[in-house]
Amino acid sequence: MEDLIEITVTVNGRAVHERVPARMHAADFLRGQLGLTGTHVGCEQGVCGMCTVLLDGEAVKSCLLLAPQLDGHEVATVESLAPDEGLAPLQQAFKEAHALQCGFCTPGFLMTATALARSGRTLSRDDIREELTGVLCRCTGYENIVTAVDRHINGEHVDV
Amino acid sequence: MKPAPLQYVRPASVAEAVDALEEHGGMARVLAGGQSLVPMLGMRLMRPSALVDINDLGAELGKIDGRGEETVIGALVRYSALETSPVIAERLPLLQEVVRHIGDRQVRNRGTIGGAVAQSDPTGEMPLVCLTLGARVVARSVRGERTIPIEEFFEGSYANALEPEELLVGLRFPLAPVHCRFFERGRKHNDFALLSIAVAGSPDADGRWSGVRIGLGGVNDTPVLAEAAAARLEGRTWDTATIAEAAELALEAADPPDDVRASAEYRNHLLPIQLRRVLTDLAGAEPWKT
Repeated sequence: MEDLIEITVTVNGRAVHERVPARMHAADFLRGQLGLTGTHVGCEQGVCGMCTVLLDGEAVKSCLLLAPQLDGHEVATVESLAPDEGLAPLQQAFKEAHALQCGFCTPGFLMTATALARSGRTLSRDDIREELTGVLCRCTGYENIVTAVDRHINGEHVDV
Repeated sequence: MKPAPLQYVRPASVAEAVDALEEHGGMARVLAGGQSLVPMLGMRLMRPSALVDINDLGAELGKIDGRGEETVIGALVRYSALETSPVIAERLPLLQEVVRHIGDRQVRNRGTIGGAVAQSDPTGEMPLVCLTLGARVVARSVRGERTIPIEEFFEGSYANALEPEELLVGLRFPLAPVHCRFFERGRKHNDFALLSIAVAGSPDADGRWSGVRIGLGGVNDTPVLAEAAAARLEGRTWDTATIAEAAELALEAADPPDDVRASAEYRNHLLPIQLRRVLTDLAGAEPWKT
């Protein structure tokens, strides 16, 4: 039996105390132990970006973090975005721009874009495209995703 | 893609960290940003007995300091901090430019300069720029601290002069030339580089260059300095013929791998062409502006 490590971590604003194996990665912890299955697991080697969450407000790949590393930190997952009723503005922008097809990559894009929107940076469409390169979409190409994030951050454009 | 069982140690100071490394007798690995290490653990390319997580050591290892001519960067300084640091923009603009070529946003939010140098990926951007800028690596163990010139640091693919019980605590950079360029060619955006080139030097009022250093990545087991090429350029003005000779001489430093990304022949083909372009651009250019 492996040693378990006690951690206290704030997940989506709620403090949780859990015991985790040292080698468990944070995405498995969020999904398997906390039941927050909005965080998706794709490659488990830091390439696809499906598992992106916010760690202390910054976008990170949760498959490259070990669960014990979360101790004392704040995590936000895609479950934190929507209000009780309806969608968050960023999610609404994804819906309106048809920025998802199968939806598997969507949590990764939403969390990466959430951190980006909060950064307060001035961002061109090219900047946004560059900032989103750490999340892969295999359905559609990226135009509508970039459009959704661009509209969310910079407001409506007439040319799309 | 799950690591083998291991212990997790989270020291609260550098002293505790080096104690933990010593205790595990070289079987522990240091966990910094984890952006290369954690995938390797998942693939079972490494099975350390323990991970020594240094992420709480920001107070000791997370600073960027300009001290006189020297710039000292703590091992735990993350790429995202290097990207936006005004001290780095002023003192080590080449380093700041290169950081933007590393990984993606999420990787740059976690990855650290110390981790990248300790990882010693032969195609890595950070090892290349540290070599080109002549950094010194500071390492600490229970036996004390030592400083390793970067030219003696890289020993092979993913291999370096650190002892298993040593912690890389920081990098010390000398005053960097204002004139510098970075070039990278990969198969796709953010992929491992097939070829990367970093050049730094200073022209005088007559256009004669001094302190020329040319670093090459992806063309050998480690990042390498193209010494013969740099010597050809040192103390001279750079006309077309001089640049062409230097670009050919760079091949002396190359012994590229054949791998899934490109053949050795192709890398050897790329090197002089791309180096000639980089040097031509630098010869006719303004000092670096970011």
